[in-house]
Amino acid sequence: MKKKLLGAIAISAVAGLVLAGCGTGRDGGGTDEGEGISEDARIGVALPDRTSENWVLAGDLFVDGLEEAGFEPDVQYAGSNNPVQDQQQQIEAMIQNGAELIVIGAADTAQLSTQLQAAKDAGITVVSYDRLIENSENIDYYIAFDNFEVGVLQGTALLEGLEERFGDEDTWNIELFSGSPDDSNAPVFFDGAMSVLQPKIDDGTLNVVSGQTEIAATATQDWSAENAQERMDNLIQGNYSGGTEVHGVLSPNDTLARAILASASDAGLETPVVTGQDSEVESVRSIMAGDQYSTISKDTRILVADTIDLISTLQAGDEPGDTEALDNGATDIPSILLDPIIVTQENAAEVYADDPNLAPLTED
Amino acid sequence: MSADTTTERRGFNPRDIWLIFGRRGSLKQLGILGALIVIIVVFQIWTEGTTLHPGNVINLVQAYSFILLLSVGMVMVIITGHIDLSVGSVAAFVGIMVATAMRDWGLPWWAGILLGIGLGAAIGAFQGFWVAVIGIPAFIVTLAGMMIWRGAQQFVGQAQTIAVPEEFRYALYGFMPEVGPATPYNNLTLLLGLLAVLALFFFQFRSRAKRKKMHAALEPLWVTLTRTGLVSAAIIWATLLFASGRPGTSFPFSGIILVVLIALYTFITSRTQFGRHIYAVGGNRRAAELSGVNSRRTDFFVMMNMSTLAGIAGMLWAARAGAAGPGDGTMWELDAIAGVFIGGAAVAGGIGTVFGAVIGGLVMALLNNGLQLVGVTTDRMQIIKGLVLLVAVGIDVLNKQQGRFSFIGAMMARLSSKRAVREVSELSPSQNTDQN
Amino acid sequence: MAEKSSYLLEMQGITKRFPGVKALDSVDLAVRTGEIHAICGENGAGKSTLMKVLSGVYPAGTYEGEILYRDEVQRFSNIAASEQAGIVIIHQELALVPELSITENIFLGHEINTMGVIDWDEARHRTVELLERVDLREDPETPVKYLGVGKQQLVEIAKALEKDVQLLILDEPTAALNERDSQQLLRLISDLKQEGVTSIIISHKLAEIEQIADHITIIRDGKSIETLRVDGTVDEDRIIKGMVGRTLGRRFPERSSRVGDVLFEVRDWSVQHPLDATRLVAKNSSFTVRAGEVVGFAGLMGAGRTELAMSLFGQSYGVKLSGEALMHGKPARIRTVKDAIRAGIAYVSEDRKSLGLNLLDTIKRSIVAAKLGRISKSGVVDELQETRYAEEYRQELRIKTPDVETGVDTLSGGNQQKVVLSKWMFTQPDLLILDEPTRGIDVGAKGEIYQIIRRLADEGKGILLISSELPELIGMADRIYTIFEGEITAELQAANVDQETLMRHMAPMQKGNAA
Repeated sequence: MKKKLLGAIAISAVAGLVLAGCGTGRDGGGTDEGEGISEDARIGVALPDRTSENWVLAGDLFVDGLEEAGFEPDVQYAGSNNPVQDQQQQIEAMIQNGAELIVIGAADTAQLSTQLQAAKDAGITVVSYDRLIENSENIDYYIAFDNFEVGVLQGTALLEGLEERFGDEDTWNIELFSGSPDDSNAPVFFDGAMSVLQPKIDDGTLNVVSGQTEIAATATQDWSAENAQERMDNLIQGNYSGGTEVHGVLSPNDTLARAILASASDAGLETPVVTGQDSEVESVRSIMAGDQYSTISKDTRILVADTIDLISTLQAGDEPGDTEALDNGATDIPSILLDPIIVTQENAAEVYADDPNLAPLTED
Repeated sequence: MSADTTTERRGFNPRDIWLIFGRRGSLKQLGILGALIVIIVVFQIWTEGTTLHPGNVINLVQAYSFILLLSVGMVMVIITGHIDLSVGSVAAFVGIMVATAMRDWGLPWWAGILLGIGLGAAIGAFQGFWVAVIGIPAFIVTLAGMMIWRGAQQFVGQAQTIAVPEEFRYALYGFMPEVGPATPYNNLTLLLGLLAVLALFFFQFRSRAKRKKMHAALEPLWVTLTRTGLVSAAIIWATLLFASGRPGTSFPFSGIILVVLIALYTFITSRTQFGRHIYAVGGNRRAAELSGVNSRRTDFFVMMNMSTLAGIAGMLWAARAGAAGPGDGTMWELDAIAGVFIGGAAVAGGIGTVFGAVIGGLVMALLNNGLQLVGVTTDRMQIIKGLVLLVAVGIDVLNKQQGRFSFIGAMMARLSSKRAVREVSELSPSQNTDQN
Repeated sequence: MAEKSSYLLEMQGITKRFPGVKALDSVDLAVRTGEIHAICGENGAGKSTLMKVLSGVYPAGTYEGEILYRDEVQRFSNIAASEQAGIVIIHQELALVPELSITENIFLGHEINTMGVIDWDEARHRTVELLERVDLREDPETPVKYLGVGKQQLVEIAKALEKDVQLLILDEPTAALNERDSQQLLRLISDLKQEGVTSIIISHKLAEIEQIADHITIIRDGKSIETLRVDGTVDEDRIIKGMVGRTLGRRFPERSSRVGDVLFEVRDWSVQHPLDATRLVAKNSSFTVRAGEVVGFAGLMGAGRTELAMSLFGQSYGVKLSGEALMHGKPARIRTVKDAIRAGIAYVSEDRKSLGLNLLDTIKRSIVAAKLGRISKSGVVDELQETRYAEEYRQELRIKTPDVETGVDTLSGGNQQKVVLSKWMFTQPDLLILDEPTRGIDVGAKGEIYQIIRRLADEGKGILLISSELPELIGMADRIYTIFEGEITAELQAANVDQETLMRHMAPMQKGNAA
């Protein structure tokens, strides 16, 4: 009995070892640990969703651009049901499949710690694309349009617009809108704009009639047009019903801008100067019609091209020049910030000349 | 007949081979286990070995431990004849509460975990109250819960993502340290595997000894040995696989938590009075009540248990993600439910096992993981997963119907033909179902 | 021609196999046009399988042999095909939708319509005619759930008539009916015979068969044994002999004289209907059961026998208003089923499939289900003990099964009932309430159940036997209480009582009306 028992243990142990024999040995999950990226490296690109045109365009551009540069692209989109969970698993699969560099457009900028650690441990370079991943030391680079600059441009455009449309007023009445509180970019836009507007508010050139100048008061949950329109309706009801004119509104993007314009128009007010961002088709149309004043062009083509340039630079063993350090909460991340372009009726045709969707809108 | 059931049969009888896989009831689960193995083999070939790479199996455990945990709770809910749609929201709410409490009140990690378990249990007790005492169907109670806890989560978190401390992450999602002599393996994982094998042998042979003492039916010794050997081989193989990952990795804590809970709930459902009550209430509520089972008490505890597990799942997720966020737990209930049904549970209740639910959950997990490894996009992946759910349950349904071919059914029929009595066919299952 | 066409249906050499089992083994059945043909056999003999072959539930090709119907070979591929040919089967469990009205049920599946739009006026009109034919005086709009089982049975027959039935198959039509409804149904079947409808009737109630059938075909172990012509020489014993292959001895076991002290006493027990506060289902009932005594409860359906029993069993029915239950002379506090089991009361319900058993469970798990604590230590069930007890009962009660791991759903009614009895014997009760313990059980198994009841009484247990079969009560009980509309109307010694006396006390109003 005892003998049989020992025999069984021995047999099963051997069987187990034999079975396990295939493909063990401790390694880093597919990559050779050496620094540097090989010429035909597999490059993972994890994008947050497939429902927005912009991300799909980025994905296509990455596939073409990376192939052209001699890399092997692995582009994945997170599903719409469970984007964070999908993205985590996709990044893990990329690591497993031996990617040497991963570009991440994060679905949630704070929920990727485990995967970033795993990537770091596997010696993979991580580039945070478009959205700055927070609270992690395991980011090598951040590349995006300069969002503070976006704000600055919006603020400047608002002042220019006010001068243009209401030049004869002494004081301009304005209202402020900011983005969704769960988006780390929202305060950056707002701070950029306020860096221009705050001095003018202080010297009395601008008058925020509602008095709501704090970002918490101006926030728009979920970037939702509905929420923005509701807030604007309430502002008009409370502050502008007695014949007071609203001359301008700072809006962080195009969707909100159109909601604000709709609200003003419903209330029978004269069209105020409203800023925007994203170059959405409807807003470009609105700008050409003279309603919305400005938008921002952040050309995905340029961002993707510069990201691929960054990858090629790293592959060649060089350091990218011209980086700034941005604090993501854990450490300073070397960042490449591209300049956005402000678009008004004047320069729209020029800016969108290469864009097949928008160019036709700028022709009369 | 009685004589040969109370003594050990000796010698080799080919029919006994089936005994290796346990008693008749467990044969049914063999089909789904087979499907799981087929999926593993297919992806192992398709991904050129990445599927069973140590790094990937560790990923698998980490990425799916919380869904599997939910399946374990959900199968008990479904056996009782209920459903719980709130688990995703409960998980998200517990996650954000624990993260907030640790951040704002400076709770240590262990207190955070205790808080999460307690909170899950409290939510479960609340939902259980409406189901068991007021008598509202669980579908509706948990549909309400789905909204309530999602809303509460957003209220508490202000739609923000809240990070959890590093110690909390380590405790739930970390790896065991490297200790002892330098081997090509993680030594603690090896130790764990060894303990598992020893425990297996201990229980198998203790059960034999007890049967002998009680003069109960005893299977041939070679059957016990072969079964124990096969399972040990599987454990050892898995141990070596997990132990040979990148240095610094091991069988993860989340996996240990999962294995312990699976073992615990397998025991509860199959061996305890409470487990029997779950099946009794789900199989025939009135008959159970007339047998002295307190069906409301059973309902209450099953619902409470589910939310407790959902709370743990929520914390596992927050530890994995490093933060609790507004989108956590979306659709988890449906993933868990899918696993349970692939694992052979019946929509009407009364049928299902923890083991089946775990295997069902693993089928979905491996499918997800494998398709991701080969780079299938999420849209196509969802289509594939939906079809798999349909086909898996479809095969199960066909198997139960009379007059159609069923591989498992045919095997079982052959197995029992010599002992069968004519009643077997006279009261066929179809008669039982279509005339009610 | 004349010779041939006298048979409406001939089934020749029907063999039906299931994996591992031959359910039917070259069965022959010949039914003459316009007769009532009974099929007798124990449960599991193959009667239902044969009818399923005939009605196309098992399609042509899945069995061997030939079906000749109206002199033509028929190959039905489903039930619709057999119905098309005028063969309608009415199952024991009725196939009516409770929420729908009589009309809707009758026309369900073949509604009178023009391009999908139902002509309800025509349907109602036809329903009135059909209800007249089956002698059912109800508004066609009444939802079926408000009808009693007997009336539902009539609706089923009306539905069959609507389909222009030639051959009506009734599977245990009177199993759930009381005496009066049964008689009405049998009369209707005879009337239909006059109208030219041929019927096949499957029944365990041999007295009814004797009364109504022209021929009887006996099936045993999947084989057709013989076909008898009912002509006075055929009596119950003759049929039973064919069914079980031997002559049964005495149907009821000898009474024992060792009746002990009062074991269970109920005083002034009143129970209110659970939904209708104005209705009392038990009115100031008082009775006693002595140790070793079999006490019978006689009453018509709905008289409140089951309701009284269930309310005593842990108040599992209705709302208790007043009364006291004494066990061994001491007041017993019984508020839940668990209390009742602990106090030593067991209740074998009248509906074993929906109240007695979890059909998804195995035999052994069913047997221990009502007192798991007996084989558990700190909440953990000892499965070895479980198997041991289950084996013990399997042998003691002769449950026909390969082993105790078998699912109870595969057992015949008699064996299921033995499992239920085992389940309650396992709780070691002092008092067993047996509610219709032999309903839907074949003759052979009935005898065995009687033996078990007798043995339990001889062991000193008190037995409360509720039954609609008066011979059973008279044969088994020591004393009989009659119940009418929730009230105990009489207490009678079984040794000197006949069915007429019982009926008089069971339905005193009727008696008054008749006089």
